[in-house]
Formats: sequence, structure tokens, C-alpha cells
Amino acid sequence: MLRSCTAGLRSLWALRGGREGVPRPSTDLQPAPRLFSAEKVIHTDCALPNPSWSKDLKLLFDQFMKKCEDGSWERLPSYRHRCAQISEDFKNYFLEQKPVKEGRLSQVRLFTRGFEDGLGFEYVIFKNNDEKRTVCLFQGGPYLQGVPGFVHGGAIAAIIDTALALCAAVPGKAIMTANLNINFKRPVPLCSVVVINSQLDKLEGRKLFVSCNVQSVDEKTVYSEATGLFIKLDPEKKSF
Amino acid sequence: MLRTGFQVAVILGHHGALPGLTHLLPRFNPASAFGSSMETLVSRFCREMTESKNYALPNASWGPDMLSLYHEFLEKTKTEGWVRLPSFRSNRDHIQGFHLPLMSSANSGKSDWRLFTRCIEREGQGYEYVIFFQPSEKKSICLFQPGPYLEGAPGFAHGGSLAALIDETFSKTAYLSGEGLLTVNFNIRFKNLIPLGSLAVLNVSVEKIEDQKVYLSCVTQSRDQQTVYAKASGTFLQMQLEEDSSQH
Repeated sequence: MLRSCTAGLRSLWALRGGREGVPRPSTDLQPAPRLFSAEKVIHTDCALPNPSWSKDLKLLFDQFMKKCEDGSWERLPSYRHRCAQISEDFKNYFLEQKPVKEGRLSQVRLFTRGFEDGLGFEYVIFKNNDEKRTVCLFQGGPYLQGVPGFVHGGAIAAIIDTALALCAAVPGKAIMTANLNINFKRPVPLCSVVVINSQLDKLEGRKLFVSCNVQSVDEKTVYSEATGLFIKLDPEKKSF
Repeated sequence: MLRTGFQVAVILGHHGALPGLTHLLPRFNPASAFGSSMETLVSRFCREMTESKNYALPNASWGPDMLSLYHEFLEKTKTEGWVRLPSFRSNRDHIQGFHLPLMSSANSGKSDWRLFTRCIEREGQGYEYVIFFQPSEKKSICLFQPGPYLEGAPGFAHGGSLAALIDETFSKTAYLSGEGLLTVNFNIRFKNLIPLGSLAVLNVSVEKIEDQKVYLSCVTQSRDQQTVYAKASGTFLQMQLEEDSSQH
């Protein structure tokens, strides 16, 4: 029985409660321990500096790691692949729709982690649980281009969805994106670093209202502003 | 050399102009400012590119649904005026000889830069899509088959991947309908998840063009229209491209 144990987000998984000795599965998801005691998964945490990270990104990363020292902030790990066990459980218990062509799905990757270092989304998310907000440091690589020289609006939408989802994430519950509204004020130059500040504005039953802005490192430029609505899935209702 | 009548509308309220565009221009007659006709835009866009690979063509990963609907629309390109849009690895390939205002062609594109929705090379793994455009109605249809690299919830396409493709279809439609270039606003309401490997059909329409902005809407559905995956709307800023001053 997996009810409250499995959690799925449209964009990310965010369950807390990983305990000692239990391997952490993919994509920011810390599962309930009993699901994974028999599973061994090899995974790389992508939310850590690599050679493609610019100086700006590394500097900001270090600043936020300092903030984590007193426990007020935490760095959220992020993996490329999802644990197979969790995928099965999610499919069986949460959704009536059956995905097609199972045979082709052996090579799945989380969309925002499916690129080689530096080419796509380079990002790390820090969460402040008391203040219910997250900060996402994002560097958009050359494969995210839209208008030449700038990051594709859709790539910005994808990383905003990711940042908002983790902000809205509730321990032990699955959530899904219902709405996203983004106002683009300035195009983001390709390969630059931006900071996405998200916060939980309101909680109404199963509805989670979140908002964020996308700014330059020096906070002088606002690139976009967005609001989002996420819904807590109810396993009893099997819908959202 | 600037095109005669070149003017750029600056959009952004409280946060000032786009980088490089320092002055706010007075209102002007849209009809005279954006002089490129749709025929010119479409023909320039669809210019034969023998050096660049056209990704908007069937390959082995396309499922039967995608193939049959593709052929239906291919017929319509002969009989009903639909245009199949080519799709290259970078938007630079679509605007050869032109560049964004006040950005020289020299710094607007390294060869390894790729259009986001064409970033995954391996057939069938990422975005498989083709866009058909109907100039007389300012409408587009995009056939979309998401591959396993676009996963969000297990077995289904990431919401962000659909959002990106809707933005991309909006952007091509806005450009051909009225030189809409940069996304100003994007709104999406998700209704149902798209299973990986299945076909989703994006129906895009231009609702209106006013105040130097192109307004579009999109409904994403299953082929039989029984399942609505998402509804979206977008606003694009009209901008004229400048001709490159240097010879290639």
C-alpha cells in the first residue's frame, strides 16, 4: 500500500523523509524508506558545481551553502533518472491513464536534467522551509536557445515550473501544476546566470498558490515574473 | 543598413527598455511600420536550405497516428493553402541575412547554439513535431510526439516541455502572421497529462493584432479531441528584423 508514500509532481518529485541508510532515488525525491529498502539505484546529484558552471554561479552557490550551515536553508539534490520502483507505484496508484509504448520508455530522463554538462539547464535549488520559499540559481546553456542569443521563453517556463513546484512541495504529498502565468519583461541572454526567487503565497484546501521573479545576480534587472497554481493530488480521487 | 520605416516598439512598463533599445517611440500606424507582407515572411522563412537539416520531416520514430495526420495535412498543403514549416536546428537558419534590431549578426549565434525544441538530436527521444501554418486564417497546427527525454511524471511528458513547444508554435505563428518576435506573456492551464510516445495536436490561432502585439491562443488535444491536455494563451511583441550590413 503506497498511498501517501509515493509522490509525483508534474515537473518534479518532492517528498521529504529520507532516512539513514536508504538510497535516495531520482530527481529531488526522497521517498518513504520502506519503498526502497530493496532497491539499489546509482545516481548523480546534478545540483552541484561542475566545470560548466560560470564564476557567478559558483559564487552564488557558495553563498547559499553558507546559509545552509545553520539549518535555515537546505540544498535540494537533483537526479537525472527516476527510480523505477517509484515510477511503477505512481502509475498504478495515481493515474487512470496508461502511458503507451512501454518498450520505448527504458531510456527516460527527467526533462530538465537530460543534457550533458553545461549544454542545457544548469541549476540548483535552495529551500527555506520556515519562510516557505526557494531560490533557484539557473544558468541556461546553448541548447536552450530561442531568439538567437537568448534563452527560449519555453525553457524559462520549464525552469520556473520546476522552481515553483519545489516551493509548493508538501512532505508526503504528490502535487501537479494546474496553471502557470508568466510575464516576460526582458529576454535572458544565453549562458548567463539568473536567480529565481519563489514563495508560497496562499494555501486553500488542495490549492497551492505560488509566485516568483527571475532576476539578474545583482538584482538590478527583472527578467520575468510568474504565478502558478499547484494542486495536491488526492489518491482517493485519482484525479486532479 | 536600416530598413526604411524601421521602428521598434518598446514594451516594458516599469522596468524600462529592452537591452540596447533606449528610447520610447511615439505611437505610429502599425500598417506602415511592419511592412513585410505575409507572403514575404513565409517565403523568406521557408527558403530552401540545403546545408541545414530540416527536422520537420517524418522519421522512423514517428508513430502511426503522427504519420497519418501528417499526411492528411500534407494533402492540405496542395489543396487548401496550408504551408508545412521547415524546422532547423537554430532560428538563425530561418532568418539568414537578418538579425534582431541593434544586435549585430556577429554576436548573435555561435554554431553550437541550438533551438530549445530541437536540442535533442536522437530520433524519437525528445521533441518530434511538425508545424503546418494556414496564412489566410492565421492558424497553425502542431503535431507533437514527446519522447522519453521529456519525462516529467513517470510515463508522461513534462508540463514544461509542452509549455515550451506551445511557446515555440506561438512564436512561429506570431512571426509569420505579423512579425511577432519576443514572448511578452504566456499563460497555460494544464488539464491532462500527455503519455510519452503518443500524439498531441496543438491548435493555435491568432486572436488579434493590436498595440504592436500579437495575441494568440492554443488548445492542445488528443487527435480525436476527446481529451484536452492544456489550454494556453500568449502575447508577442512585434519587432522588425534588420538586414545584415556585412556580406556573408
